[in-house]
Amino acid sequence: MDNKWEMLPSSSEEREKIWTKNRTFAGDVWFRFRRKPTAIAGFVLIVLLLLFALLGPMFTKYSYSVQNLEVVNIPPIMKVFDAPDGNGYLYITQSLKVLRVNPDGTLGDQLKKVREESEMSMTIFDCGGTEVGLYYGQKPYVIADPATKVICSSSTVRNASYLLGTDSLGRDILTRLMYGIRVSLLVAFIAAAVNMVIGVLYGGISGYLGGNADTVMMRIVDIINTIPLTLYVILIVVLLGSGLQSIIVALGSVYWVDMARVVRGQVLSLKQQEFVLAAKTIGSSTKTILFQHLIPNAMGSILVTVTMLIPSAIFMEAFLSFLGIGLQPPLASLGTMCNDATANLRTCPYQMFIPALGICLIMFAFNFVGDGLRDALDPKLKK
Amino acid sequence: MARYFAKRIGIMIIALFMIALVTFVIMHSIPGGPFTSDRKASPEVEAALNAKYNLDAPLPEQFLDYVGGLLHGDFGPSYKYPGKSVNDFIYNGFPVSAKLGGITIVFVLLAAIPMGVVAAVKNGKWVDMAVMALATIGVTIPSFIIASLLIYVFSYQLNLLPTYGIDTWKGYILPVIALGGYSISYMARLMRSSLLEVMGQDYIRTARAKGLPEWKVVTGHAMRNALIPVVTVLGPTIANLMTGSFVIEKIFAIPGLGGYLVNSVTQRDYTTIMGVTIFYATFLMVMIFVVDIFYCLIDPRIKYE
Repeated sequence: MDNKWEMLPSSSEEREKIWTKNRTFAGDVWFRFRRKPTAIAGFVLIVLLLLFALLGPMFTKYSYSVQNLEVVNIPPIMKVFDAPDGNGYLYITQSLKVLRVNPDGTLGDQLKKVREESEMSMTIFDCGGTEVGLYYGQKPYVIADPATKVICSSSTVRNASYLLGTDSLGRDILTRLMYGIRVSLLVAFIAAAVNMVIGVLYGGISGYLGGNADTVMMRIVDIINTIPLTLYVILIVVLLGSGLQSIIVALGSVYWVDMARVVRGQVLSLKQQEFVLAAKTIGSSTKTILFQHLIPNAMGSILVTVTMLIPSAIFMEAFLSFLGIGLQPPLASLGTMCNDATANLRTCPYQMFIPALGICLIMFAFNFVGDGLRDALDPKLKK
Repeated sequence: MARYFAKRIGIMIIALFMIALVTFVIMHSIPGGPFTSDRKASPEVEAALNAKYNLDAPLPEQFLDYVGGLLHGDFGPSYKYPGKSVNDFIYNGFPVSAKLGGITIVFVLLAAIPMGVVAAVKNGKWVDMAVMALATIGVTIPSFIIASLLIYVFSYQLNLLPTYGIDTWKGYILPVIALGGYSISYMARLMRSSLLEVMGQDYIRTARAKGLPEWKVVTGHAMRNALIPVVTVLGPTIANLMTGSFVIEKIFAIPGLGGYLVNSVTQRDYTTIMGVTIFYATFLMVMIFVVDIFYCLIDPRIKYE
């Protein structure tokens, strides 16, 4: 086109046409959601944690429950001594035994004890024909040559057999972490789903019916709301006995109150709108109006409430398990792992900090996603 | 307003009755009696025990008896510790828990309000970012993890503070920080956002226009209104601290009421579970109610229908 200022013919139809791409509500939400880096980070983190928890156990050769008392409390990064026979390293366990560590970092056999030299404060072990002494006269304990009393040179090695170390019963922490995150997420998702169903039904019915039914139903919610939920969760766990099912039932039955309030508020304002009147005019049943028209429109706030509910459920499960009235051994959850680790926090802090980090990551992830969703779903913030 | 409070008291009484009923039903629907143990007692002994604790009466009668006792402040005997009553546990444990909770509440208010104010006044500056980052961490990390971290750093690595017990004032430092961490973060965030909102209002512009120094605008004019949401969450915060202290009392070996409750749960001491639960619930409800009255008094704009 030579003349850029030439007038083009245009019809009125073309002038009215919306030229930008049509975006659905979900697309719109996704567009705003992904502009928030924290929300995206949380979302990615949740996906990674799910993959870790669901697929991880396929790649591990350990079980979460089988104990191996020979390799108790081995840290992920070990302080080792060079073996005198030149074949790898030696590691002193907390129970004063000596483990051979292969050059690649995997754990080998326990050395055989030869004799006890009490005057020298040494225990003599047999290391491939040569004798080595474990000197326990002072802390930290060292490996020395019993004849010359020269301390073997030490270094640190990554634990290749147990990447995150073992716990106080010799179980692989990495495997337990996978199962722990799995259990924590399972509890949280089921609890959230159950609460969502109860809360949406209760709040929806209460809000839509209105009048006396609404008053009575909301009074009941008021009464439940004054009761500290922690106490009720504890009571339900007492009633059903400790275990996975009772935790799920307990958490599933107490958190719906907030959801019911949110849904009721939404339904109360939505039912005044014209589309409900239109639905009534064409003779839709109450059920259809509630489930086809009102609740889908309230889905935004429902979704936000659910994402915020998941971290509280995870927190409550960890809280109960930490108190010792949640899941029972050998089942692993993040809370029980932290609880098991409190006894030897001084000597093996990694046993506490690894599951603690897991809990923190999950909490961060869900909180960030919840924040992001709330901002994305709020049409007032639409740009 | 009087009508509103009357209604609130009514709801509270119904709720307390419900709590008593539900806990009673739950405790009595657990299979096995309170004296069922591995060692089978002879029928005569069992009958004597049942008669002593009035357990052979029909359930409704037992419930009425129990509620009658509650109204006189009698929580009944402990089944696991003969000669001890649930009241003994409450007398021993509650003052300890209440002292820890009281110190924590004061600490939370003293820490959270200045944090929130500073963050709001320095909105967008690095102070604000730091406070908000700290608050986000505090809201997401469970208290027992904070407690373990604190013990590891301050007791094991630096050897500054005791790991358990509250014999000296030093013993209170770690439990109070761990217990209050969540509430501080939550309140600081709330304080910041509500102060920011208030600072944007017209009467603040008026105060500035008449030449008041900025600190007077903040403390004299903005703070008063900005504090209202903080007071609102004070009731739930107290509830949170009291129930959150179960874990903290366990970690720091503090002989409070939470420890008795957790112990009674693991030992299946049913009357203690029942009594302590009802006591906790009553205490928390009364506290929340008192905070609501207070809330209504400081803000004359609030009219309850």
